[in-house]
Amino acid sequence: MNTKTKGLFKNPIRRWSWLFMGPIVAAFCIGFVWPFAQGIYLSFCQFRLIRDAKFTGVSNYVQAFSDESFRHSFWYTALFAIVSLVLINVLAFTVAYLLTQGLKGSNLFRTVFFMPNLIGGIVLGYIWSMIFDGILSHYGTSILLETKYGFWGLIILMCWQQIGYMMIIYIAGLQAVPEDMIEASKIDGASRRQTLFKVTIPNVMPSITICSFLSLTNGFKLFDQNLALTGGLPFIIQDDGTTIKTTEMLALNIYNTFYGSSSTSPGMAQAKAVIFFVLVAGLGLAQLAYTRKREVQQ
Amino acid sequence: MAQVSLKHIKKIYPNNEKKKKKKKGEPEKATNLKITEEGVVAVEDFNLEIADREFVVLVGPSGCGKSTTLRMVAGLEEISGGELYIDGKLMNDVAPKDRDIAMVFQSYALYPHMTVRENMAFPLKLKKMPQEEIDAKVNESAEILGITEYLDRKPKALSGGQRQRVAIGRAIVREPKVLLMDEPLSNLDAKLRNQMRAEIIKLRERINTTFIYVTHDQTEAMTLGDRIVIMKDGVVQQVGTPQDVFDHPANLFVSGFIGVPQMNYFDAKLVKTADTYAVELDGKTIELSKEKQDRLAAGGVEPQDITLGVRPEHIALLGEGQDMFTGTVDVSEMMGSSVHLHLKSLGQDVIVIAQTMNLQGPQPSHFQTGQNISFTFGGNVVHLFSKDGKNLEF
Repeated sequence: MNTKTKGLFKNPIRRWSWLFMGPIVAAFCIGFVWPFAQGIYLSFCQFRLIRDAKFTGVSNYVQAFSDESFRHSFWYTALFAIVSLVLINVLAFTVAYLLTQGLKGSNLFRTVFFMPNLIGGIVLGYIWSMIFDGILSHYGTSILLETKYGFWGLIILMCWQQIGYMMIIYIAGLQAVPEDMIEASKIDGASRRQTLFKVTIPNVMPSITICSFLSLTNGFKLFDQNLALTGGLPFIIQDDGTTIKTTEMLALNIYNTFYGSSSTSPGMAQAKAVIFFVLVAGLGLAQLAYTRKREVQQ
Repeated sequence: MAQVSLKHIKKIYPNNEKKKKKKKGEPEKATNLKITEEGVVAVEDFNLEIADREFVVLVGPSGCGKSTTLRMVAGLEEISGGELYIDGKLMNDVAPKDRDIAMVFQSYALYPHMTVRENMAFPLKLKKMPQEEIDAKVNESAEILGITEYLDRKPKALSGGQRQRVAIGRAIVREPKVLLMDEPLSNLDAKLRNQMRAEIIKLRERINTTFIYVTHDQTEAMTLGDRIVIMKDGVVQQVGTPQDVFDHPANLFVSGFIGVPQMNYFDAKLVKTADTYAVELDGKTIELSKEKQDRLAAGGVEPQDITLGVRPEHIALLGEGQDMFTGTVDVSEMMGSSVHLHLKSLGQDVIVIAQTMNLQGPQPSHFQTGQNISFTFGGNVVHLFSKDGKNLEF
């Protein structure tokens, strides 16, 4: 056997890897890398259509940062993401913990809690806006009239939708904690509370990492529920005549900016989208790194 | 250290099977579980008095109820009936943490997010002991077990043997009244198991506590226990010292469970001429020892068909020309200090242990498959069981 033939048989996977990798790499480039690169380029341009984009430097970024509505939606989104992160995870863990204590009907409850996750965000938004308005109308108000109602309404909606999903991840994590370890802590003298905080929770850190990453990024990226529930309303008019939608989150702000009336709107929206990406990716990775450190291996 | 008293302890699990609808024509599942109206009986009428500082081993095959009994002592299983006393105090409804016991699990059950030091200090911290005292106790226990150099490592960085030492360390650091061990050596390889067994014997000398140890390994039971409790299907078969259980097994099950290789059994006849008992096997008569004669006479045992038991190590090989029982060698296993011979004799398999040293008969290297061998055994080493499995000498 000559050297060439030997190589062919020795490393067939390496030799033909391009054939197997090719389609998925092509799809990834066409569907993600190219549009992403195009998006970054467009954030430095003024355009209506992609083919007539004109390079304008960092002016879109300057405009985006000086846009009061963008700054407001950033802080609003950050507050929403933190509150929803805490509430969703605490409630989902509590439900998962209760449903792994051998209660009767646990399987039924698991299914019921998971079901809201199967309904689309837009549909949920409209259903909950009717529920909230139905309640608030007794007090002569509406979810669209006060920022705090819009905020807590969206929090309730997101908890209702996400708790079931996170609960499933937590149940898997809790079931993976060895029973012997829990029994050992009981014998060591730990109360139920001490067992939960000193033994169970440190051992479900991988689930906590995944769930907090998902709920943080979901909170930041939220769009359809925001659009359907309040559409960003109510709004306040500033001294310069511009308006700020007080329950408008970042994604909805970018969307509304893109379809705004000004010729610079699409470019500015594109710049906001890039800032949004950097923010979500940075926060997500930082949170991942923080919680991963606390994970333990059996 | 404490006395432990188990009085008529029983454990019954709810029978969930009966709720399931049985399909037509589905056969009954073969099971050795005792199922009553109350449920599935896991442990039945368990009675045992464990003295202060005693080392008691519960031994039996899988599913015999030994671990369930231990877990009831620990408080991890509810007691369905009977009473458990530790140092004279009724413990049935006392939480595990208030029983002043410690337990070593088969799976080690170490906390993976804590270092060895933190694992060992955990029960002491929960007691709100001052830090200096905790450090002193952890260091002392670590020294006893030879794990001082691993104190700052996490469990994942330790071998199986080291993890088991840490688990034992976490248990002894509390100086519990009773130390419970649930098959602590089962996850270790054979060599390490022997080593750890010796260490447990040494540990026992160094700490003042009462031990209750569960195992399915009769060698562990025999070597570790002051007394051993042999269980089967949730029922205690015999309680006694290792020597007593080996020499005088209460029934056929105990005789077969204790001793490796297992005891040989023959269908034989107990006969009585005048006041003398003897055993007839294959047309030959075996005279029983005076001790056995007296026991049988005291029990008023009638002549009957019996199961005769003889341990492989109590069978002697005979030289050429000597004739008692004969057989042909089926398999010969060289074990180093002895040879285990599997013979075809008296219409069944017979196992004989022949020591490689001081052999009076044929030399082990001479054993070949198909070879004819003569053997015998004395009336002082045989065990006599009735056909329902009870030892006739009891």
